[in-house]
Amino acid sequence: MAPKKGSSGNSNSRGDRDVDVEDRFQAVVLTDSFETRFMPLTADKPRCLLPLANVPLIEYTLEFLATAGVNEVYLTCSSHANQIDEYIENSKWNLPWSPFKISTILSPEARSVGDVMRDLDNRGIITGDFILVSGDVITNIDISKMIEFHRKMHAQDKDHIATMCLSEATEYYKTRTFEPAAFILDKSTSRCIYYQDLPLISSQEKGAVQIDPELLESVDEFTIRNDLIDCRIDICTPHVPPIFQDNFDYQSLRTDFVRGVISSDILGKNIYAYITSDYATRVESWQSYDTISQDYIGRWCYPMVLDNNMQYDQTYSYESRHIYKENNVVLAQSCKIGKCTAIGSGTKIGEGTRIENSIIGRNCQISENIVIKDSFIWDNTIIGDNSNIEHSIVASHAKLGNSVTLNDGCIIGFNVIIDDNMEIPKGTKISYKPIKNMGSSAFNLGGDEEDSEEEDLVECSSFVGVNGIGYVYDSDTSDDDEEESNGIHKVSNCLAHQIEELYLSDASISSITKRKKKKRTMSSNSMYTDREDIESEDEDEEDFEAEGLATVERALENNHDIDTALLELNTLRMSMNVTYHEVRTVTVMALVRRVYHFISTQTLGPKDAVHKVFNHWGNLFKRQAFEESEFIDLMNIIMDVVEDTHFEKPDLILFGAFTSLYDNDILEEDVIYKWWDNVSDDPKYDNVKVLIAKWVEWLRTADEESSEEESSEEE
Amino acid sequence: MSSQSMPSLVHNNNPHAVTEIEVSIDSFIAKLKRRQISGSYIIALETLQLLKRFISAVRWSNVNELIAQIRELGNRLEKANPTAFGCGNVIKRILAVLRDEIEEDMRESINAGSSTSASAANLNDRNSTIGNATQAEPLIASMFNLLQKPEQNSQDFYESKSKTKTDFRQVVIQAIKDLIDEIKNIDDGIQQIAIDLIHDHEILLTPTPESKTVLKFLIRARERANRTFTVLVTEGFPNNTQNAHDFAKKLAQHDIETIIIPDSAVFALMSRVGKVIIGTKTVFINGGSIVSSAGVSSVCECAREFKTPVFAVAGLYKLSPLYPFNVEKFVEFGGSQHILPRMDPRNRLDTINKITDYVPPENIDIYITNIGGFAPSFIYRIAWDNYKQIDVHLDGKQK
Repeated sequence: MAPKKGSSGNSNSRGDRDVDVEDRFQAVVLTDSFETRFMPLTADKPRCLLPLANVPLIEYTLEFLATAGVNEVYLTCSSHANQIDEYIENSKWNLPWSPFKISTILSPEARSVGDVMRDLDNRGIITGDFILVSGDVITNIDISKMIEFHRKMHAQDKDHIATMCLSEATEYYKTRTFEPAAFILDKSTSRCIYYQDLPLISSQEKGAVQIDPELLESVDEFTIRNDLIDCRIDICTPHVPPIFQDNFDYQSLRTDFVRGVISSDILGKNIYAYITSDYATRVESWQSYDTISQDYIGRWCYPMVLDNNMQYDQTYSYESRHIYKENNVVLAQSCKIGKCTAIGSGTKIGEGTRIENSIIGRNCQISENIVIKDSFIWDNTIIGDNSNIEHSIVASHAKLGNSVTLNDGCIIGFNVIIDDNMEIPKGTKISYKPIKNMGSSAFNLGGDEEDSEEEDLVECSSFVGVNGIGYVYDSDTSDDDEEESNGIHKVSNCLAHQIEELYLSDASISSITKRKKKKRTMSSNSMYTDREDIESEDEDEEDFEAEGLATVERALENNHDIDTALLELNTLRMSMNVTYHEVRTVTVMALVRRVYHFISTQTLGPKDAVHKVFNHWGNLFKRQAFEESEFIDLMNIIMDVVEDTHFEKPDLILFGAFTSLYDNDILEEDVIYKWWDNVSDDPKYDNVKVLIAKWVEWLRTADEESSEEESSEEE
Repeated sequence: MSSQSMPSLVHNNNPHAVTEIEVSIDSFIAKLKRRQISGSYIIALETLQLLKRFISAVRWSNVNELIAQIRELGNRLEKANPTAFGCGNVIKRILAVLRDEIEEDMRESINAGSSTSASAANLNDRNSTIGNATQAEPLIASMFNLLQKPEQNSQDFYESKSKTKTDFRQVVIQAIKDLIDEIKNIDDGIQQIAIDLIHDHEILLTPTPESKTVLKFLIRARERANRTFTVLVTEGFPNNTQNAHDFAKKLAQHDIETIIIPDSAVFALMSRVGKVIIGTKTVFINGGSIVSSAGVSSVCECAREFKTPVFAVAGLYKLSPLYPFNVEKFVEFGGSQHILPRMDPRNRLDTINKITDYVPPENIDIYITNIGGFAPSFIYRIAWDNYKQIDVHLDGKQK
């Protein structure tokens, strides 16, 4: 009797993992952010394995997914994929009683979130609605409410494809996200009408939100909000990955995807925002690492707190004033442990040391008379007597000598050794190995390297001391590609407090917003044009000409199928933002060059060459011209190009091209007549037009039967 | 007979069963850690269900091993959420039942005269070595056993490899079933007493609105005895406000006059209050208790000032054999986010939000349990009727 009961109970607990394919709830975790904000530490370890409060970041996300009741989790890894894979392999999530099935997807070639999503679509894993979450999220939101909202909106609106989770920030800018953005939401349904990145709050640049008035046509009331933390928790429908597939140029999740989808009238899809006041945020910069660690220790993310001991080997217990200690911590009698501090097991703290607002990892040796304030000391570090550490990060296995002073905002990398009596200036980042700009490191081979290393050595010994090991990491060069020219961006991406000076109160922001609104209503009749686009158009066009030509030529050369060639051209068109006219031009140019190539190498006679090329590749135009006027434009282009190319018999080439297109039903008689009626009288075309004149005349008079005769006459 | 067949049955599907039980234990632990299971009633019941499955799956060669394994399980559950006492309490009670049964069994076997001279020699050895541990036990056994002769040779039995005629698996499962029944029917027992305690036109105050027992207690007094009385409910800001509103609504639906008062008004109103009724989460052996919202402690302090009687209602399963030496360890600290808005981390206040509160025994006048009303000073007696001292702390070795 008893065993039977047991087994029935077990099947219950297992039940949630053997759910139907349709019912399972999937989650995709983007472990890579494709940013370099945590350099130099991310050179050795991926961001999601960096410890926050002595627990790797990814654990917080997985913990959140476990509470959310997810059945399957896919981790997409690109940089340091092996480390992540190995970590997951050995983690508790891989054990039979893990609440979900976890698998890693390695896509080392991915360079953006867009690439990852396309990869996901190719693999065809997604079967239903899924949570798309970034691997550095820390949250205690009640996902069931969000799912409910998602379902409700889905029932109301068939075009609803995704729900973003946004959490409300306060007026204190430090709680804000590192990537500020304005969300314009429909007041009644909280549909996202428009999304725009804003300049950083700390930068002095003033932002403006420009909206296409058409987007607001069907909206009664809307709100513009800049106080929302985008925590990158989205519930997506299975339609989302194919959209990335269709739009090759989508790179980032917000700037490209959200903005693209909601402002595109072709797709006609909608994205909704779920606004919560729960704790939800991302560890996206050193600054937010600092803030979130303090929040976490201060129990702002309850019930996710350190003394839950989510890891199997953790033994934290809580004491008043937010002090967390593991077992086997050795504290000297005269040391003082202040508020908001966590200490890992095996750590020894010496006499007279004072620690406050800090997180100390495991097996650290902290000697006597040290002051540690607002800092993060990771596992296995050694800190010598009389040192002073303020608001810094000391990564694992680092070794600090006696009387070392770390000033505000220092980041000491893995395995770095700092000699006695050194003082590290404010905001310095030191790594064990020299790390160059990502791009240039590839070229930095051979003799060059030694030179530069020597230079570094000279420079760095002033930081780490004679017996120290470490190189200063220069964040200037390899910071984000975000076009922040004035260096403010760089400043704000360090741990240091210096941003206080640039404090910008929210009151002034809100007044700007108000003004903006007024302006918008006044000018809502005038069409919105993006000035930047116009300025850069010429450049784009030139680029496009070269690129497009190359694309078509490559297709001709390798005899690609037409669909592939078209897709490539289309992608190029969209990414460079050019019209079909340019596309037609480059296609024609490429085709005519091909013909010229055949003739000049005497592979084929002029007529055969033209027929061969245009009969096959003419089909490209079917998808490049759609209206009458566009076909006329096409014919003009062909004429222009043929004229430009200086054939021996231009008229024959043009005639050949037109007849081929005509035979393939690409050009219709009406179009040809119209074109001929309006063709330019420029004398330079006279040569070219000779045969066409005859042809058109013949077309007008002759019946279809005589076409054979005609062509034989021509020969 | 049954004891012969049972191990073989277990043995057949053992490898499978053990891994499956591991799966359910670990997912239960994970749920405890994530605070996905809350409320002492639910935790106690779920723990018992788990224990039942565990007992069905586990195998052992002697009773001592069984006890060790149950202790191990209890230890893991206690560690998972140290402030959820329900897990530890029920497991310790099952252990006590099991140990009683073993003693009973052994006494019978001795009476039958089956003990050999070898085991007698063994017995003497052990008494000299482990004498203290075993002797301590009978001293604090129930008062009804006071006059009985202390048993000296129980240790010997724990070690014995010989098959006994008692099937301990059945014993434990039966004990679990009884305990589940008891927990499920706990409110009936308490409600019986309710009628005698509440008088007509009395004003009651309850600072623990989430307690189902208090709710049923009051409704019962209203419906069965048809008493008319007024209930004041403290608001319990910020953690318990929603509960207070729900509680007041339910009482109002049963035609009980209910008033929600701010926490700060307790002192002003206390002079008019006839009785304070509190629900408890855990009752410690000293008669103090953990209650489920911060501020209850000050309400009880206030009641003492006004000489207003404080009644605590508690099911027997909430009785814990622990002593609150370090109250901070037993009180749960909640999140800060409900108290203050998020602030600039550099210049913010540190907030400490106790979710539960400790009421010392001197501020409670009487405990109303399902087996009757007791003074706080008598709680230890009831505890030792239900628990064995040897099982108070499940971590570490038994001996």
